[in-house]
Amino acid sequence: MLNKAYAALIGAALSAAFVAGCGTQPAAERSSQLYETCMPCHGSSGEGNLALRAPAIAGLPKWYVLAQLEKFKKGVRGAHPDDMEGHRMRPMARSLLGPNDPELVADHVSKMRAVWEKPDFAMADTSAGGTTYRGLCVTCHGEGGEGNEALGAPPITRQHDWYMVAQLRKFQSGMRGSNPDDITGAQMRAMSLTLADSVAMHDVVSYVKTLPH
Amino acid sequence: MLDHLIASAASFSGDVDGLFVLITVLVGVWFIAAEAMFFWLIFRFRAKDGEKAQYVTGKEKHLKKWINIPHALVLVCDVVIIVAAIRVWVTIKQTLPPADRTVRVVAQQWAWTFADPGPDQKLDTPDDIRTTDELHVEVGKTYHFLLESKDVVHSFFVPAFRLKQDADPGRIYTGWFKPTKTGSYDILCAEICGIGHGVMGALLVVDTPEAFQAWEQAHAAETPAEAASATESTPAPAAGQ
Amino acid sequence: MAQHSHEAAHVAGASHDAHHHQNWFQKYCWSTDHKMIGMQYMFTGMAMALLGAFMAYVFRMQLAFPGHAVPGFGLVSPGQYNMLITNHGSIMIFWVAMPVLIAGFGNFLIPLMIGADDMVFPRLNRLSYQLFLLSALVLIASLFVQNGGFGGAWTAYPPLSADKHYNLTPWGSSLWLIAVVLEFVAFLLGGINFIVTSMNSRAPGMKAFDVPIVVWTIVIASILFLASVGPLVAGAIMLLFDQLLGTSFFNPTRGGDPVLWQHLFWFFGHPEVYVVMLPAMGIVAEVMTVFARKKLFAYKTVIYTIIATGVLSFFVWAHHQFVAGIDPRMANVFTVTTLLISIPVAEMCFVYIATLYGGSIRLTTPMLWALAFIAEFLIGGVTGIYLGSSGLDVFFHDTYFVVAHFHYTFFPIAIIAVMSGVTFWFPKMFGRQLNEFWGKVHFWGTIIPFNGIFIPLFILGAAGEHRRIFDYSNFEHMSKPWMIDMRIAATVSLVVMLAFQIPFLINFVWSMFKGPKVGKNPWNANTLEWTADSPPPHGNWAVMPEVHRGPYEYSVPGRERDFWPQDEKV
Repeated sequence: MLNKAYAALIGAALSAAFVAGCGTQPAAERSSQLYETCMPCHGSSGEGNLALRAPAIAGLPKWYVLAQLEKFKKGVRGAHPDDMEGHRMRPMARSLLGPNDPELVADHVSKMRAVWEKPDFAMADTSAGGTTYRGLCVTCHGEGGEGNEALGAPPITRQHDWYMVAQLRKFQSGMRGSNPDDITGAQMRAMSLTLADSVAMHDVVSYVKTLPH
Repeated sequence: MLDHLIASAASFSGDVDGLFVLITVLVGVWFIAAEAMFFWLIFRFRAKDGEKAQYVTGKEKHLKKWINIPHALVLVCDVVIIVAAIRVWVTIKQTLPPADRTVRVVAQQWAWTFADPGPDQKLDTPDDIRTTDELHVEVGKTYHFLLESKDVVHSFFVPAFRLKQDADPGRIYTGWFKPTKTGSYDILCAEICGIGHGVMGALLVVDTPEAFQAWEQAHAAETPAEAASATESTPAPAAGQ
Repeated sequence: MAQHSHEAAHVAGASHDAHHHQNWFQKYCWSTDHKMIGMQYMFTGMAMALLGAFMAYVFRMQLAFPGHAVPGFGLVSPGQYNMLITNHGSIMIFWVAMPVLIAGFGNFLIPLMIGADDMVFPRLNRLSYQLFLLSALVLIASLFVQNGGFGGAWTAYPPLSADKHYNLTPWGSSLWLIAVVLEFVAFLLGGINFIVTSMNSRAPGMKAFDVPIVVWTIVIASILFLASVGPLVAGAIMLLFDQLLGTSFFNPTRGGDPVLWQHLFWFFGHPEVYVVMLPAMGIVAEVMTVFARKKLFAYKTVIYTIIATGVLSFFVWAHHQFVAGIDPRMANVFTVTTLLISIPVAEMCFVYIATLYGGSIRLTTPMLWALAFIAEFLIGGVTGIYLGSSGLDVFFHDTYFVVAHFHYTFFPIAIIAVMSGVTFWFPKMFGRQLNEFWGKVHFWGTIIPFNGIFIPLFILGAAGEHRRIFDYSNFEHMSKPWMIDMRIAATVSLVVMLAFQIPFLINFVWSMFKGPKVGKNPWNANTLEWTADSPPPHGNWAVMPEVHRGPYEYSVPGRERDFWPQDEKV
């Protein structure tokens, strides 16, 4: 009510400027400005940041980024009481306000140039890892780690090794994938539980880093 | 007055609202009197042709009393407000009535997590109910909360309870509240804590005893064993790579 | 000129090399003339005010229309929002209120009002401005580094401000801190100058109680600043070490204490409020006496209340920390001291109102601003009582009630009083008159929307709306329709108010070059600056003035004229 009284004061010219500014922002411009929200942690080219435990996201497929953003937004992912990194990501997904914003930012991220991230860990036993990979992971993530949209499995070859190990741990402990609404997460969780220990995780992740990218 | 703007749902929230009314009345009178005097003087002594201003030094007794009497009255009002304010403060912050139940409130960038003691009423036992974003409490019970922060300074703010307490890393603060009205109320973080500060919210749900029982049973059934093993976070990378 | 001794300055005023030709570089970069330095402070402060105002416009637009691109800026990300509010606060206090009120008016007015040819340490004065300019440049640079400027609020509480993993601005937070420290050093140098000059260089015959109130207030403010800033500079260096060298003064995981910073910050932070408030009060006193043609009511009482306010201001800092985890019993002590400070401040307001009694009030533009200061500052004053009351502060701490409260003090201080001063001394600064009509348009166009911005914020704050949140749609009780309406009302008022600054800027620049010329004393005022030429030459007077009476002898019975300049013999 009050705003109408003021709107009369402000005059047509200013309102026109508001409308022009608010309504007709080009999608490309908006999506790159939306990425400002992600930049402090994921980096200006989506390369990720070890100190902040932020994964590389450049070039991830749009459907995967969008699905994860929705999970974070709804609290399906990142809401476990012990998931420190998830707690930092979740509000960021929630701060995408416009109805199309998750899609726009997912689109922007998918178009960023993906870079192969060199391993940060010492390479472990890649042959043991390869055996595990071909037995367990290949069904969803594919022979070359290229992922599978129909099964909701992301490509993994370019991801940081420390991030993959951390996620395996989170799946195993139930920090990720234990929410009843997280269907793909639950599948991944079941797979992660078959990995015996930390050594097996490092092996399989080392193998993934040897895949062609 | 405040309960027209925001629900009043804790035992001490009415005290805070009462203090607000008291201060509004006391300073309101002063404010209106001062502004009325001010505008009247501007109108009364506006410049007129051929009329010179008076020469007043401020040492005249009959004029000085207009300063001295209000001065003394302001002091009296101050004393009244101080007494009232400290009474409310002592209720909220300086006394700790015996608890029916103790919950843990943990702040971190950028979420609230809570631990309810579960059926055994003891914190840090396997039947604790750990939740994110939602704290369930039972109406009419006195709660203690143990407030801590995992990283930076946060502040536990429940507007409907008129309750606020900073959470500093490295310390645990104990406070109390007694919800008096069922419903769900916002929990906000009241100290800037980084880029997610603006979306660091949670809900405080005040349940009826039956609803609380139901909630407790539903959650106590969940196996909590995993949570204990999940505390290890992301590993550090090997050196030299 | 730096070598002039006190006596020499007075006899040798005429020998000042005002006629000596200076090139552009000497005139604007190395001039030690107090008027030039004062003017530079003022213009820098005003430029920074435009930057701060733009920031306010962007984040208010974001609050009113969350998720929409702001015209002239674009989308506001959460990090950018924090950066905007942090730097808006820092700029408006450290780079607008301080330079304009203390350094700007202090430099311009003190030598002119006490009858001196310049500051006691002119070269220190020059250094002070240059450091200040550097600090402003460092601050602006901090907005453009990787991940943008600092976003941990102007209070910079650690560990958020100390660790780049928490604040995510690795460069912004350090540059912000460096800028603040440089700014403090600049004002330390300036403050020493003001104190020493007004103690040693007063014109012959000018006793302590013949000094105009505005000089008193600037000097007392400088003393407050000098006494309070030490702990904060030390704290800032410690914080910088935490950020850059890996020390842990404020890091609790390694034995530090984050609450220590809060004490160091507010021990400075609260006196700082009075550091900027007092000069504003002084300016208003000068303007009111001239346009009411009245002697200031109870001059000595005013001085005593200023001193009392200054002393008390050192004992109230923890009222910013009631809910910060200090011992709850401490809060009681600080409630008492905080409410006691209302007494000298109320007394000051009473005295100002009483000064109007029996006057012959002329509502010129400077007088309108001065009166508006009193009317608006009263709102800021009485709402402070709510916040000083510990029991109520549990609820109000860091809500928009606080935001509205301190804007009702800082806006009158940094904008209303400054406008009063600028419009009042403009003829002395530039020798020309401002346009009265556009001055009044600017006045009403600023005052009315100003209330339109902050009255809604009081109501929102009373409903629990919290500060520093870039979007309320995630909070059910903070996004009722009436609350959204109020946010829009506040934002639209802000846009209107900013639009009304355009006539001022045009009026200011136009009048500087084209306004009607004025003589030495266009307002028929008493104080010494009005006996110098407009604008005063380097050295201020050809023959240094002598003082025979106090500054406010207006409408003295038995005299033909209603004013009696301080230097007039009979």
